Amino acid sequence: MSRLLADRPDLTTPAPHDFSQLASRAAVRSSLARALDSLTRGELSVIDALVVAGQTTDSELIAMVRAEPSYVVSALARLRALALAWDSPEGLRPLSGVADCLTGGPETGRSGLRPRSADAPPLDVLRTRIDELSEPARAMLEHVLEQGGEATAGSARRTVRPEDAATPAEELLSRALLVPGRDDVLVLPGEVGVALRDGCTTTEPVDAEPTLATAERPTRLTEGAAAGAALEFCRRTELLLEWWSTRPAAALRTGGLGVRELKAASAHLQLSEVETALVVETAHAAGLIATRADGDGNPVWVPTDAFDAWLATDVAARWVVLARAWAASARLPSLVGGRGADDKPWAALGPELASALMPETRAMTLAALGEVPPGHALASGTGLPSLVALLAWRRPRRPRSRADQVAWTVAEAAAIGVTGLDALSPYGRALAAGEDPVPLLAALLPEPVDHVLIQADLTAVAPGPLEPDVARSLQLVADVESRGAATVYRFSASSLRRALDAGWTAREVHAFLAAVSRTPVPQPLTYLVDDAVRTFGQVRVGFAEAFVRSDDEAALAALVHHPKAASLGLRLIAPTVLVSTTPVDLLLVRLRELGVAPVVEGPDGTVRVGRPDELRARTPKPRGAGQQEARLAVQVAAAVRALRAGDQAAQVRPAAAVSPAGALSALRDAIERRAAVVIGFTDNQGVVGERVVEPLSVEGGQLTAHDRTADDVRTFAVHRISRVTPLP
Amino acid sequence: MNGPLIVQSDKSLLLEVDHEQAAECRRAIAPFAELERSPEHIHTYRLTPLGLWNARAAGHDAEQVVDTLLAYSRYAVPHSLLVDVAETMARYGRLRLEKHPVHGLVLATTDRPVLEEVLRAKKIAGMLGSRIDEDTVAVHPSERGNLKQALLKLGWPAEDFAGYVDGEAHAIDLTPDGWELRTYQEEAAESFWHGGSGVVVLPCGAGKTIVGAAAMAHARATTLILVTNTVSARQWKDELVRRTSLTADEIGEYSGAVKEIRPVTIATYQVMTTRRKGVYPHLELFDARDWGLIVYDEVHLLPAPIFRMTADLQARRRIGLTATLVREDGREGDVFSLIGPKRYDAPWKDIEAQGWIAPADCVEVRVTLPDAVRLAYATAEPEERYRLAACTREKVAVTRELVERHRGQPTLVIGQYLEQLEELAEALDAPVITGATTVKERQRLYAAFRHGEIDLLVVSKVANFSIDLPSAEVAIQVSGSFGSRQEEAQRLGRLLRPGDPGPHGERKVARFYTLVSRDTVDAEFAQNRQRFLAEQGYAYRIVDADDIGALS
Repeated sequence: MSRLLADRPDLTTPAPHDFSQLASRAAVRSSLARALDSLTRGELSVIDALVVAGQTTDSELIAMVRAEPSYVVSALARLRALALAWDSPEGLRPLSGVADCLTGGPETGRSGLRPRSADAPPLDVLRTRIDELSEPARAMLEHVLEQGGEATAGSARRTVRPEDAATPAEELLSRALLVPGRDDVLVLPGEVGVALRDGCTTTEPVDAEPTLATAERPTRLTEGAAAGAALEFCRRTELLLEWWSTRPAAALRTGGLGVRELKAASAHLQLSEVETALVVETAHAAGLIATRADGDGNPVWVPTDAFDAWLATDVAARWVVLARAWAASARLPSLVGGRGADDKPWAALGPELASALMPETRAMTLAALGEVPPGHALASGTGLPSLVALLAWRRPRRPRSRADQVAWTVAEAAAIGVTGLDALSPYGRALAAGEDPVPLLAALLPEPVDHVLIQADLTAVAPGPLEPDVARSLQLVADVESRGAATVYRFSASSLRRALDAGWTAREVHAFLAAVSRTPVPQPLTYLVDDAVRTFGQVRVGFAEAFVRSDDEAALAALVHHPKAASLGLRLIAPTVLVSTTPVDLLLVRLRELGVAPVVEGPDGTVRVGRPDELRARTPKPRGAGQQEARLAVQVAAAVRALRAGDQAAQVRPAAAVSPAGALSALRDAIERRAAVVIGFTDNQGVVGERVVEPLSVEGGQLTAHDRTADDVRTFAVHRISRVTPLP
Repeated sequence: MNGPLIVQSDKSLLLEVDHEQAAECRRAIAPFAELERSPEHIHTYRLTPLGLWNARAAGHDAEQVVDTLLAYSRYAVPHSLLVDVAETMARYGRLRLEKHPVHGLVLATTDRPVLEEVLRAKKIAGMLGSRIDEDTVAVHPSERGNLKQALLKLGWPAEDFAGYVDGEAHAIDLTPDGWELRTYQEEAAESFWHGGSGVVVLPCGAGKTIVGAAAMAHARATTLILVTNTVSARQWKDELVRRTSLTADEIGEYSGAVKEIRPVTIATYQVMTTRRKGVYPHLELFDARDWGLIVYDEVHLLPAPIFRMTADLQARRRIGLTATLVREDGREGDVFSLIGPKRYDAPWKDIEAQGWIAPADCVEVRVTLPDAVRLAYATAEPEERYRLAACTREKVAVTRELVERHRGQPTLVIGQYLEQLEELAEALDAPVITGATTVKERQRLYAAFRHGEIDLLVVSKVANFSIDLPSAEVAIQVSGSFGSRQEEAQRLGRLLRPGDPGPHGERKVARFYTLVSRDTVDAEFAQNRQRFLAEQGYAYRIVDADDIGALS
């Protein structure tokens, strides 16, 4: 039971009340289709054979399927587990409804045969009848089988004995190899098809899973390429998000990322737009970016606080976060740049860019790649089509865009570094298997280095990934010029000034450079550092609210030292200039109190005469009349509608409500009379409510009715309606 | 995985020089990667579309490039970069310019959609004739160059298989008596000849004239040589008479002063670009003879009108000679499509190591401005600032001190501004050469300098190019044309001719001083100017003017 619920999770939401409800739900068309979607082509062929057979036994079915008996046995076990086949007291049967849900052609495991007739003769009898046929009749029979099992009768007589048959059609009719169906149509019964196909439902074996086209490729190369891509992907994510932290990307009104923003990002990352979209989407799936309002209240994409936590971990752990998010994501970043049916371009992070089947495709693709033995990879050229064929065999029914989805997955996996040169990396294997890929990936990443090579052209090269501490310090004193496995830094006066701003001293800079450089620090750099230190702090900037100046140096000195001036925050910055932290208007008053007679200087240095300001307020502006009217009108209309509906409900409330059991007939009655009724029902949240409705139809357990309260057509689940009271 | 090469995702390649495989790796990547800078420890190469197409033109394919990168790379090579390399290289040669037996010059393709895309480009439409079949379209013969230029801009460079005219035959041979072609000169001439047309990049002083002569000896046809100025034209003539079987009568000069047309004609850019009433009267020179070879000296200076004229000369073999492909105007793409791809390139330091050019010691001397000048500088108009900073009087004293230090060694003082040069000439009591000096006087002074009669010359930018002064050992640069990188390279180049070894076999070490005013735009420009040389491995030392005495 729990296996059934685990395999068909749609049966559990909402939790069924009892077994009868579970059973009826399992037989509902949509649930059946979903269960069938999860079958392989081989399993579909088995259930197709079961449908053809109708009611049968295991051994008969095994004989009817052209496959290894063990394969059929295991397929049957799965069908039983999914409750698609069950053992009635009379024998093995498909769940009713399965036959209708089987659609498609041979690619979904269909044999094209009709169900057997109830009174089907044994196989050898049929064989004898077929052997008796004339050449044209046999050709005709096979033709009908290939064309779908139906033919038009024409002028053939329906009841004729074999020896009187004049035409091939009559020959077939007389032996019941074709039987009359509806409307002048002759059909070929399933058992005849089986007999024609030598006792089986198909002519081809159904358990032949396609094989992957692979080629030998040394693990050393594929691992290296994958680890390189993984490192690169993490680096690019970091680069983009750091860029967005200071220059957020505007979000579209629909929530996506605009084409212009994507272009800018792709230029910044030096990637194509599709690859950039993958970085963006993966970061989003990993919860590293989100929208917030910028200064003007417009939504923008910025990194989340999870980004900081992510940055604090090492590269392998960072990668795993991204890769897991990608594998589980339903997003379709590879569509970005294309256009939808309405000819609008797909935007990255846009809401419509998702497919519920994508995670399954990704998981299955990685699983299929995982079956390739180590040292081998998908063959170039034929590898991808064979992978598509394999996945199409394993899940033939859905989705229709399987080939595209698989190709995207393969490309994305390569970009993220799950695969390298089309072979699953060892840590990718661990990822697909749900194990911890971190140690495997960490072993493949380049060892961090703790030194750089400083050169006379004022660049420094770190010949590998730098240890985080060194990298942080170096980023302070130099600008990054080129990133990758190695990093190139350039020293300039402004970069050195940045370090001095951060509180470094000349000695610290020199010591740091000497410590991290494996080669002697070149003379021009030493000179540049000293030069930067020399000019650093030559100009000083401070804070002041007002200044006081006077040619009388003694008067200013006296002012600074005046005991009552202590609270004015006066400071002598030149013999003739004082600055103050007190605003001008206050300072003016206080200075006058101290017995000084100051005048105010305007911005251009001219003297202003002080005079009290005359105050004015703004004339209040009336709100737009039209807007108010419109608002009122809507409010009134809504109120009237609600009142009327409520009134009608109140009128009927005393009258006896119809019992729930009679609800259906009451509703049908109301439809007939085109009358309104009051229904009591329980909504999705379990809240009991009352509505005045005009029922329009009752179908499939759903009531469709015009709801007077909402002034709209609504549907209600019949089983949720507790009572129906006709309006008088 | 412990190769010498680090492949960055921004398409730069970092080569660790001290690695044991470094030399091998450099040879392997040189055909397709452009050397961007070569300081002491790590050289930076870059993968550019032009570089990759150069490699395709030389017969390398994408697989070779990818294999080389994978083989020498220390870390994993970014996947996107490999894809990009393959895609870029595949763009070259999809379109081919060919000779059609019936229709003459045609543009043919192996990839029809590309041709369709190109045909839809507006710029191209006027250059093409009728469609011959689905894969071929006729081209107006006069548009051969323009078409190649336009196709390069579209990102579909055409491979030119239309061939060259042989031109009028004329016997030219090298006469190696007492000298011989150096290995790299021979390689340069060979690879040019096999490529058909193209550019040879060699440092100043490495003997580019001889590469030109060797190319002429390959062509054995009448030759038009385009040079920067008259003095340089005369030097070419002398050199050709000395190095080849040509006699002085066979070589004509076509300049402002003389207009001779001989089997080998040397013309100046200036006369070719003279305009009268909106036309170029000397343009006919290109058609005056059936030239078999056209030599462009200092191709990085090629003026725009000559580019346009060159577009019409695509049927003739062209060789460009230069010390640097850096063009301050960024027209490297035009050089590629009109003259041809780069055919030969050697890092300066390599040739120095072989002893063909002298090692150099570059020193930047910082001069502190007196407060009065600093104040004048601070309040000056922006366009006046550089002149003010560069021409400060303080430099005169420092120059005198440096000249004194190197008394007896042939010294050049190079500057941009005439007043400054005259002031210096007066203070140093030395002759001065500027644009106003007559050609005759210039030649007299150069000759005197070469023969050691005078050992100090003050020169303006007229001496930047193609002036052969092998004896010069010291140069003092007092001002320049703003931040021009190639000018700096040219000026250092004046010093790099290796002189005769001393009595104990010691080699000449060139001294290159740049005087810079501290804390002004002069210093900023100097930093930009030095970048090219620093990237070529010439490390600058910086000293204060007060510390000159302490210099080694």
